[in-house]
Amino acid sequence: MENRVEYWVKIPIGPIHPALEEPEKFIITLDGERIVNVDVKLGYNLRGVEWIGMRRNYIQILYLAERMCGICSFSHNYTYSRAVEEMAGIEVPERAEYIRVIIGELERIHSHLLNLGVVGHAIGYDTVLHLSWLARERVMDILEAIGGNRVNYAMNTIGGVRRDIEDKHKRAILEMIKYYREEVMPKVEEVFLYDPTVEARLRDAGVIPKRIAIEYSAQGPTARGSGVEKDARYNEQLGVYPDLGIKPITPKEFTGIIKGDMFDRMVVRVGELWQSMELIERALDQMPEGKIKAFPKDNIALVRLKKAEGEGIGRYEAPRGELIHYVMANPGSEIPERWKMREPTFPNLFAVARALVGEQLADVPVAIASIDPCLSCTDRVAVIDAKTGKKKVLTEKDLLKASIEKTREINPNIKAKPEPVGGTCGGVRL
Amino acid sequence: MNIAYLTLGLIAIYLYVSFVSLIWEGVDRKLVARMQRRIGPPVLQPIYDFLKLVSKESIIPRDANKFFEIAPVLALASSIALLAYTPLGFEPLLATKGDVIVFIYLLALIAFVRVMGAVSSGSPYAQIGAQREIIMLASREVPMMLGLFAILWRLSKLGVEKPFSLGTFYQYNIWEIGTPLTVFGTFVLFIVFLLWLASEIEVGYFNIPEAETEVAEGPMAEYSGRHLALFKLSSALKEFASASLVVAIFFPWGISGYLGLTGIGAVVLDLLFHTLKVFIVLFVSMSVFRAITGRLRITQAVGMFWGRILPMSFIGVLLIVIDVLGVIA
Amino acid sequence: MTPEEFLEMILTKFPNADGKISENKLPHPRKRVWINVAREEFKDLMKFIKELDPKAQFSIIIARDGGDYLEAKYHLELFYEQAPSISLVVGTRCPKDDPTLPTITDILPSSLPYEREVQEFLGIFFEGIPDPRRLFLPDDFPEDIYPLRKDEKGISDEMIKNAGHPYKMKKEG
Repeated sequence: MENRVEYWVKIPIGPIHPALEEPEKFIITLDGERIVNVDVKLGYNLRGVEWIGMRRNYIQILYLAERMCGICSFSHNYTYSRAVEEMAGIEVPERAEYIRVIIGELERIHSHLLNLGVVGHAIGYDTVLHLSWLARERVMDILEAIGGNRVNYAMNTIGGVRRDIEDKHKRAILEMIKYYREEVMPKVEEVFLYDPTVEARLRDAGVIPKRIAIEYSAQGPTARGSGVEKDARYNEQLGVYPDLGIKPITPKEFTGIIKGDMFDRMVVRVGELWQSMELIERALDQMPEGKIKAFPKDNIALVRLKKAEGEGIGRYEAPRGELIHYVMANPGSEIPERWKMREPTFPNLFAVARALVGEQLADVPVAIASIDPCLSCTDRVAVIDAKTGKKKVLTEKDLLKASIEKTREINPNIKAKPEPVGGTCGGVRL
Repeated sequence: MNIAYLTLGLIAIYLYVSFVSLIWEGVDRKLVARMQRRIGPPVLQPIYDFLKLVSKESIIPRDANKFFEIAPVLALASSIALLAYTPLGFEPLLATKGDVIVFIYLLALIAFVRVMGAVSSGSPYAQIGAQREIIMLASREVPMMLGLFAILWRLSKLGVEKPFSLGTFYQYNIWEIGTPLTVFGTFVLFIVFLLWLASEIEVGYFNIPEAETEVAEGPMAEYSGRHLALFKLSSALKEFASASLVVAIFFPWGISGYLGLTGIGAVVLDLLFHTLKVFIVLFVSMSVFRAITGRLRITQAVGMFWGRILPMSFIGVLLIVIDVLGVIA
Repeated sequence: MTPEEFLEMILTKFPNADGKISENKLPHPRKRVWINVAREEFKDLMKFIKELDPKAQFSIIIARDGGDYLEAKYHLELFYEQAPSISLVVGTRCPKDDPTLPTITDILPSSLPYEREVQEFLGIFFEGIPDPRRLFLPDDFPEDIYPLRKDEKGISDEMIKNAGHPYKMKKEG
């Protein structure tokens, strides 16, 4: 009997790797250039968000939820407000619902343009990266005009939105949509539907068959690219979306065949760009006048929420998939009993790790980029400090001292003393 | 030629070519940036990079063996030796009968030394990059050698003093034979040579061994400091030498003949004109190609070489051969 | 299938469970089905749900420390092809001195990462789980500490350095 010696190499991709935007570790077992097994390890970006959330009141969690992610910050805000509103039975005025739709779709446009660039960079096509991120600047300008900031625009509050869309914003949005329709979208379609490099790299690579997508509960464009027609805005009949006419987009409408590979996922994203622009136009037409908030001030909302009891679930379709938040009330206190969220990258990562077995190594970074990983959202549960005992614990004072010394080497005129000065923060009990 | 003249000439050529090729890299980055609607780095940026790399410390991994430090020096030495055989607007310095074989050998040697350096660095990323480089090396030399030997054989039939030498391009030109079959065959070989040049420099479709987003710089993953500076310099010299070959085969006309200069003045003027032609060929083959294409997978690139470029090369060679047989018989 | 028919089918088969339908106040009101069941019948209930709809999509496990019991709720989405799909929450609980629950990875294989996460953060052990490694926490995190518990097994005060203090630096001179 012959013993075959197998030269299998285990290489880690991540946590620090030029192909990944955020840290995660994939341990890949290779046989030459063919992949045999993929193992996922997360937790490099753990910030302790849920643990902090157990100690903050309802309005503070609104800001905390927003800062979990940079590109889908509005989605987290929105889903959390939905969950609290369902729990307490608060009704939101209609104009606020339309404004939420408009801002949500603007965020979807900017996130999809970002992802098109990232996939282009991962296949070595830098021109696509630079040009699509240049096109994205227009949307960011509009978001800055409405919200005041390019990311983390705190538009939502419990029971409505904070800022209104005025006529000048409306004109600017319609101009932007015209610019995109005439100049940007034809070029995007030419690159992502017809270009030979893109087709050679993305076709028949990283295939997630429909059966695995259903079994692993893949979400968002990852699932729709494999033919699973689900979309949380459509299934939930969320807000005013049914009045605007929404349905899940699959590659069948663009290319006619569904294979579940990376090309199909990019086609779904291009299709969603078209759909978002139509939704914004219809929402701007149908928007009624009226109030935008259910409670004029946040304190009144807190008082009302103190008396609430029960639990609520909010679901929304973030640019990456289905986002779900859960809130349970503690009657008589401003701090909720439990808050938990799950974002769409988590099941998508495991689905793509299962689908990568049998592919080539060159496809791994492109496959990971094509599911649009947003790992800031994934790693968020409770650890603050973990090393006790054997290793030397670097307290904050040590780190600060080291950093001040380095600054002093560079510029001796800066004087500072490494002492923490502070008591409790704003009266919140720890 | 005595030894002193030879050595001085080689040192002068080496300094000139390294300066010019680093300037070309800066110009290329600027042009590609403008094509992508960015501003891009200043034109002297690669010279600053080189000086900065030389002044940093080189980190040697624990698992590397002795060859790790020898490899950059060997690569640079091979590049300097290659310069002695490149046609630079005038005959190469050490031109003899059949020196085209030494030229091709040195080109392959530089790539081989890179692979050996990568394998001895002990990192799995470098191992994968080295595998890709070897496959590309084996695939890209075949069409080029076929075309080069066919052209040199055709030219040697016209009666040159050093057959199969790279200096023959300055005595007779492949275009001046003039029969339609030869012109068409040469044109086909021109396309083959442009693609070969792109894959020798590793840009665009063929940016596979040093794919920065896939294997974190591939063969150069563990090199830093002085060693990386030497490798980069040898790559730049190899780039210039390969482009010089393409220019010498297809556009070897000089201008000093028209202006009637002789001696040192003619040599310098020919050199400058040759540099200009090299820049233009590199612009087409490197900058434009890099800006309009992405990277292929290794199986697709190898398939392209053996399935498309090699047959094209065959067709070009066959056309030239049929033409010769027709004339003689 | 409407939520009411669905709830009736479940309650006829499992009379010990208690369920209700909640409706929220959106422009198109949305109904959710909430079911609470004891842990002995939990696995049978999940098998029954999987037979009703083989393409059920599993979303999240919400685990909570409720004083002297540990509670886990599972959210599923059934019949995703119709416009209002059925949004179902199944809850079960276990006492703190016997923190085990049956695993459902053989029925719904996509629930493995969620069970791993709950195992390391709250200390509920799932019997029969195929892969009990840690997912998020680093490998040298101490063994018996579960960060989301509110009792003595949670994060103690010595493990927190500088949580919540706004950081100000005093200028010298």
